[in-house]
Amino acid sequence: MSTLAALNFQNAASPLMEQLIFFHDHSMTILILIITIVGYNLISTYTNTNIDQHMLESQPLELFWTIVPSFILVFIGLPSIRLLYLLDEVYQPSITIKTIGHQWYWSYEYSDFLNLEFDSYMIPSNESENLNFRLLDVDNRTVIPFNTQVRTLISAADVLHSWTVPALGVKADAVPGRLNQV
Amino acid sequence: MALLRVIPRKATPSVFMQQVARLHNIERDKIGNREVVGWGINGMYSYVDHIAFPMPAIRFKENSPEIMALKEREKGDWKKLSVEDKKALYRASFCQTYSEMRAPDGRWKSITGWVLFGISCSFWIYIWEKLFVYPPMPDTITNIEKRQAQLKRMIDIRVDPIDGLSSKWDYENNRWKK
Repeated sequence: MSTLAALNFQNAASPLMEQLIFFHDHSMTILILIITIVGYNLISTYTNTNIDQHMLESQPLELFWTIVPSFILVFIGLPSIRLLYLLDEVYQPSITIKTIGHQWYWSYEYSDFLNLEFDSYMIPSNESENLNFRLLDVDNRTVIPFNTQVRTLISAADVLHSWTVPALGVKADAVPGRLNQV
Repeated sequence: MALLRVIPRKATPSVFMQQVARLHNIERDKIGNREVVGWGINGMYSYVDHIAFPMPAIRFKENSPEIMALKEREKGDWKKLSVEDKKALYRASFCQTYSEMRAPDGRWKSITGWVLFGISCSFWIYIWEKLFVYPPMPDTITNIEKRQAQLKRMIDIRVDPIDGLSSKWDYENNRWKK
């Protein structure tokens, strides 16, 4: 779950989320490298007095700072493409859960084996007990089996909603009249 | 003052030079009696003290009789010039020395002062917001029993077990890891 003043991702609860976190760390490293280089240039323009003010153009320099960013982009893009296609891999899910968004609750249907349907309302703050997380806890929780492939079909009954589990790295819009599969 | 006119002939180099000469004649009115000694920064007759341009286009002072006399003596033996003469010759052509140009001017003190003043203003605004604008914190944060019950539940449901909260709890011995 999300903790107070959390800046990073939640710990991954699925291997895909773990790969997303790794890619995020990789891209952040490259970004910090670029920002350090640019920041150093900025500060040295201000502090270093040995600056040539008459330099108007320099073709080798321009060639260098066009080629090197293209290499950096390749380093970012290859893991990104790999992850993009990894996220769309097909599996054989063991269970299917239908998630339907309403104003303002979710209803879930587990219809594989038993016909199980229930609504999931948020617990209001004035009815919550000591151990309830404010604005996060619900009365009927969605239970998903551990270490299995799960298919979720997400839709909505009235307006657009969005269903997400940050720790699993899934988010899909719940569009009325449409089934989105995660 | 003569203005540049559109010349209805083919623009040859000599025509261009005539226009340049006319422009420089305009500028010569502005600089008084000062001598033109070079190209300067951009060819215009201006005096600028800059560390990247050691030789401005014009001398700094107008040619007075004393300075002309000094210049005559400058054509002779330099050992006969006193230090004061040499300094006067320098100051006739230039306003500041390089040391004076590069000398620290203390602007960083006022800049730092104003920046800190602005930061402190934002702090005062934040204090005003805390006192008069924000509603009180919900009791899930202010009530310590609720915070402890929530924390225990977070540990029980294994929130962030890899490198977050639950990774720091020792489940065998029921206490925080050392």
